[in-house]
Amino acid sequence: MADEALLRAAGLNIGYATPEGGWATVVSGASFEIAPGEALGIVGESGSGKSTLARALLGYLRPGGAFRGGSLRFKDVEIAGGDPAAIAGLRGVRIAMVPQNPLASLTYHIPVGHQIEEVLRTRGRLPAAAARQRRNDLLVRMGLPDPAVIAARYPHQLSGGQRQRVVIAAALACAPELLVLDEPTTALDKTTESQVLDLIANLRAESRAALVLVTHDLNVVARVCDRVLVMKNGRIVEQGAVENVFARPRTDYARELLGAALRIDTASAAADGGTGAALLDIDAIGFAYAKRRWFAPKAAVTPTLAGVSARIGRGEILGVIGESGSGKTTLGLVVAGLLAPNSGAVEFDGARLAGEVRARSADQRRRIQMVFQDPLSSLNPRQTVGAAVMRPLTMFFGLDRRTARRRAAALFAALGLEETLMSRYPRQLSGGQQQRVAIARAFAAEPDLLVCDEITSALDASIQAQVLELLLAMQRRTGAAMMVITHDLSVIWKLAPRVVVMQGGKVIEAGATEAVFRAPRSAYTAGLVAAATSAGRFYSDAAAADPSAPVLVPAIG
Amino acid sequence: MTADFLSRLRKRRAAIAGLILVAFHLTLALTAPVIAPHDPFRLIEAPLEPPSAAYWLGTDELGRDFFSRLLMGGRIAIMAAISAGFVSALAGGLIGLAAAYRGGWFDDAVSRFVEMKLAIPSILFVSLFVTGFGQSLGVLIVVIAVINTAGVIRTARAQGIAIMEQGYVKAAILRGERGSAIVLREMFPNVLELLAVEFALRSSNALLLVSALSFLGLGISPPTPDWGTMIHDGLQSIRSEPWLILAPSLCISSLVIAINLATDGVVEAAGLEASRGG
Repeated sequence: MADEALLRAAGLNIGYATPEGGWATVVSGASFEIAPGEALGIVGESGSGKSTLARALLGYLRPGGAFRGGSLRFKDVEIAGGDPAAIAGLRGVRIAMVPQNPLASLTYHIPVGHQIEEVLRTRGRLPAAAARQRRNDLLVRMGLPDPAVIAARYPHQLSGGQRQRVVIAAALACAPELLVLDEPTTALDKTTESQVLDLIANLRAESRAALVLVTHDLNVVARVCDRVLVMKNGRIVEQGAVENVFARPRTDYARELLGAALRIDTASAAADGGTGAALLDIDAIGFAYAKRRWFAPKAAVTPTLAGVSARIGRGEILGVIGESGSGKTTLGLVVAGLLAPNSGAVEFDGARLAGEVRARSADQRRRIQMVFQDPLSSLNPRQTVGAAVMRPLTMFFGLDRRTARRRAAALFAALGLEETLMSRYPRQLSGGQQQRVAIARAFAAEPDLLVCDEITSALDASIQAQVLELLLAMQRRTGAAMMVITHDLSVIWKLAPRVVVMQGGKVIEAGATEAVFRAPRSAYTAGLVAAATSAGRFYSDAAAADPSAPVLVPAIG
Repeated sequence: MTADFLSRLRKRRAAIAGLILVAFHLTLALTAPVIAPHDPFRLIEAPLEPPSAAYWLGTDELGRDFFSRLLMGGRIAIMAAISAGFVSALAGGLIGLAAAYRGGWFDDAVSRFVEMKLAIPSILFVSLFVTGFGQSLGVLIVVIAVINTAGVIRTARAQGIAIMEQGYVKAAILRGERGSAIVLREMFPNVLELLAVEFALRSSNALLLVSALSFLGLGISPPTPDWGTMIHDGLQSIRSEPWLILAPSLCISSLVIAINLATDGVVEAAGLEASRGG
């Protein structure tokens, strides 16, 4: 087997030149093999070197990068420092890549069919008619039933899933022996991701091409791959068959990554802190973005929210899940007051809540706070983070600067931020620190309700756990209720005892989180749960068979 | 960041040349009254004397020292251009951001004003106002500032719309901050680089406009030395004493080109291209 390896890396080092004239090592001592027809997953957090390694398989490095020793052989061709012409001959023909963003990898002003034909004609040396025929075959194989119609479209006229299928078709055009996919489904919503992963699995079965799949999502690896490399800080810390690595992780790091993956066999960690008294009552609200037209009657638009109702008790945490476009973010914006609903009513602590934030009382504004998805953009780049946290204190409580500063410092401490950070600007902080500052700013107003919109989705797995833990600690201390909006079911599992599932602007399921996840009533929810639990299931099965298996480090306690 | 910026700037020769030339022009303009060899207003010799050791560029059609007048000729125009550039960058920035923040009818009104302005040739617009309000330096500065404001509004509004989507603006709106506080405290500091670039480009644009107006007799009035007026006066002797036109023309064009080269270089070195627009 070892001698038949399609690709073999031995002690491979990749570095980048630093402005100081030195080298920063991004991949060090990587050794692994890929057998023909095998599917290898590469997982790790951002900055672990997984994307650099994946691109290096095609001989590509970002500007300033260089192979710094070791070897990387594809059959008989040396890729690390080998003959550039020979490496170029491999690309697109024997090794192909599907990059992360399908929109960026297609030329926007050329119909997608042409772009596939171009590969076939220049790399595959097929005549025009044959190229067109093969293009149609490829598109049909990609599950695009009407190839002639799709081929004539421009990239922007396709959906995200269709685009990714077209890019995969172009990559498979010359029947490569190795296909490298870099986060192929990260830009897609869960249902589409699921379809594309099925497609990738089917293609593998029929084409005998080996796959390298780079992802941060262990569930994706669990569904598609045979073997997995776990990377951290440029090193491969663990590798082996997926069922072995996931069932019996040897390193703390792998266990931590798995701990972040959802397992619904254990009890939900979410504790019911609610007192039962209603705080927020959302009653059948509807919202539609109005299309502004000058000289025509108002066009009917599909509503983003239609008849959505939900309740949150004092001190209670309610989870809202759904994929992108389900209306969950819109719901959060309506509650916060950035969007006014077209119909229905929202009641907050017994008083009707005006749609527009300006029409709400100062006290209502103070009592409802929001934390946003992107931590960097939620802080003013030209304001120190200390000033950002002090502002609600001076504004809502009329504190003088010194008192406000002292209270802000206390909030920083409560969120594990050093006081010296207060004089820094957002860019000088890490993503996790930025998000903790944003949480501190929200709690500075001493809210009764905190709307959290995908607050961890821009962060790495280990940072996510830390931020959630601090958020939960703050929530317990202050007794604020929370509305946690996310596509990540594991966040809900850890935080929210009750959950609302949204699809197409409607609530399709609601209830206790454990009940909804373990016995979903709708196929949609069942699909979300299945996609989110595939990695954790390996471990659960192994742990069930072997009672002495170590307990997974829970991502949050 | 700063060291990085300087090292990248150093590699751009055109930008360095531009910066040096701008500095040279500004130094001359500031020190002109001291270094000018003769009184630029006094009739000192016979008209249209050729260049000599005493009068380096000869005398003009009234017999004044042309070199001294050339040194002094940029002062008023540059001062007017910089004032107009500053006012337009500041006003355009604030109005553009306010339009992005307010939206609705205010945004519509501002946008229509900008489009209207962009549809009328600048020189026509200025001539109209100068004729109406009288030919004074103050009127000139104000009118040129108004003209340039339209372009700044467009850029600042586009940037402002992007900023409105940022979480920190949403957070300020949710806190219930006043509109003025959101525009001034949250948005304005984040378009400063953009406005600095606009200030430079609008100033060079304003200089061209001031000179063109002076050439037409609508700008800076005699006997104040001014490059535009000097080109106009030199026209009569274009065949016999072409330097009377060439020298001031060279001054205007070299300064305008230098400002543009310097700005482009600084923008590229600072990586601000993305924030530049029409």
